[in-house]
Amino acid sequence: MASRGRDPVVSARGLVKDFGRLRALDQLTVDIPRGATYGLVGPNGSGKTTFIRAIVGLLKLDKGELNVLSRPVSRVQEIYSRIGYMTQHKALYPDLTLQENLEFFAGLYGIDKQERERRISELLEMVNLAEHRQRLAGTLSGGMYQRLSLACTLIHEPELLLLDEPTVGVDPRLRQTFWDYFERLTSEGKTVIITTHLMDEAEKCRIVGYMRAGRMTAAGSPEEIKRHAGLKPYLQLWLRDPKKDASLLRARGYEVDMAKGAAARIRLESHDQIKDVLDAVSPLDMRLKEPTLEEAFLKLSEGA
Amino acid sequence: MIALNVRRTGVVALRVIRQLKRDRRTIGLITFAPIVLMTLFGYALSGEMSGVTLGMVDGGGHDLLRSYLEGIKDFEIVYLGSESDAELLISDGRLNGAVVMKPGEVRVLLDATSLQISGAILARAEAGAQQEAASREKDQGNLIVTRYIFGYDLEMMDTVGPAILGLVVFFFTFINAAISFVRERSQGTLEKFMVSPLSRVEIVSGYVLGFSFFTLLQSATTLLVVTHGFGVPMRGSPLTALAVVLLLGAGALVLGSFFSNFARSEFQVVQFIPLIITPQIVLCGVWWPLQSIPEFIRPISYLLPLTYASDALRAVMLKGASIPDILFPDLLALGIFFLVFFAAATLMLRREVD
Repeated sequence: MASRGRDPVVSARGLVKDFGRLRALDQLTVDIPRGATYGLVGPNGSGKTTFIRAIVGLLKLDKGELNVLSRPVSRVQEIYSRIGYMTQHKALYPDLTLQENLEFFAGLYGIDKQERERRISELLEMVNLAEHRQRLAGTLSGGMYQRLSLACTLIHEPELLLLDEPTVGVDPRLRQTFWDYFERLTSEGKTVIITTHLMDEAEKCRIVGYMRAGRMTAAGSPEEIKRHAGLKPYLQLWLRDPKKDASLLRARGYEVDMAKGAAARIRLESHDQIKDVLDAVSPLDMRLKEPTLEEAFLKLSEGA
Repeated sequence: MIALNVRRTGVVALRVIRQLKRDRRTIGLITFAPIVLMTLFGYALSGEMSGVTLGMVDGGGHDLLRSYLEGIKDFEIVYLGSESDAELLISDGRLNGAVVMKPGEVRVLLDATSLQISGAILARAEAGAQQEAASREKDQGNLIVTRYIFGYDLEMMDTVGPAILGLVVFFFTFINAAISFVRERSQGTLEKFMVSPLSRVEIVSGYVLGFSFFTLLQSATTLLVVTHGFGVPMRGSPLTALAVVLLLGAGALVLGSFFSNFARSEFQVVQFIPLIITPQIVLCGVWWPLQSIPEFIRPISYLLPLTYASDALRAVMLKGASIPDILFPDLLALGIFFLVFFAAATLMLRREVD
């Protein structure tokens, strides 16, 4: 049963980790609350994997204070049965069947036979591999392997899940199933920390932390991040008489960007302004563009 | 038709050279392994022997033979009162052989479980007796009687067979264990173990248990081939022999696990063969007796598990020894070897990886 204390599930203060002359974590400070899907995003080499490995005690930190499930990281091994860790490696036995792989990992956590069978069936169903139960893991495709790896990570129903790029090679439909499952886990009070390169995935996280050069440069809900970056929605308008219409809009105080082909772009302060724009001009076509996380991160990176 | 493009071939060759240049371990191995191996083989094959313990019962009449044997610096002479004392000490393995001198007769008592040593003793006794006969004015002749305390019917295969059994198990278990651990690392499962309730002791113990099953199967098969296929005697209990091999296999496993920390791929594990396996073959006292290994290298022999396993297996199979007979030093040494490398292998499985 997941504990539902108020303490953050992971609390990091001023973490520093050097690999020779490379500083992988640079005064990293962050709190990850319980029951959230927390997306760690950032460019390659920004320290995401290093941070995950520090949380599970696989790295010795040079400086800083790190608590995991209310315990100092030096004692994290006492609570390994409450943590699920999926590495970027596929971490499976190719010469065992899917069932045998899952049985093995269930065995490590001392799950009894009846419960084990229930969980194996449920997880294989979730990752859509139920019909391959007796197949050797080594014969699976890359995406299937990844799904099995996730199932093995979930077998002991951990309350803190650390997933290092879990959806690489997984098709979009199944990726959605994963995310639905993560939602279910967080609704049960579990926490899912996930590293990803995919911004559409990051958008699904309740909280996103953007890492750059070993630091957390921004953290919050996707909406908060966009606001923090100062990004606003814009309208794309295909105007009947671009010159005339643009000056009409400018007269009403809008900044009109005509740079991109025939479509004009107008930044909006709020969605209420759409009506005002349409009162001024009647475009051939229009599209409302919400700012994306990617744009927000790019903006934040420029400022960092 | 096979076309050979010199330029393309050159590109491949250049790449191989570039890669090897950056692989310092391979360069080191290519350079130093032959030096180490040739030195070991050279000394082992030099034919010189030292530290042979020879019993001598002097019943008179052979002063020349006596001083001839006493003059051999490779032999350590132990003076005894009777032939039965000599027999007893040979049975216990405390003497390599004995020369019993009586007027008109020389009896050479031998332990042929090491053919080289018994051969050397017999050759020296015969040479001494010939010199003695030649010095007499009237050739009265010496009657040399050879008595084998062990192994009167032994052939080369009989004396090395038990050690081959040990070698086979040691070799395969070491390599398989090292490769398995390298794989656990490279496929990421070891990292997953590290983030599970599984302790390091449990990981290594689990491996020892799992591998023991196959070691047992492998030993039983090899034992059958050695005894039934090649007619090597099994005078002791096969179960005792299997117990020795299991202990040796467990030692090979933890040694493999320990050394896997220094290999990043299966290819690098194979490089351990000349460094870890071959010296054991040369120095374990099977192909060449320990007495023929130079004294400055001999301490290494006493550190190698195969030395003790071969000794124990020969005692069980050829002399009918039981567990208490081989407890000291063989089983004790194998046990200590296992425990030391079990601890080392466990400590090397660090949870924190930098």
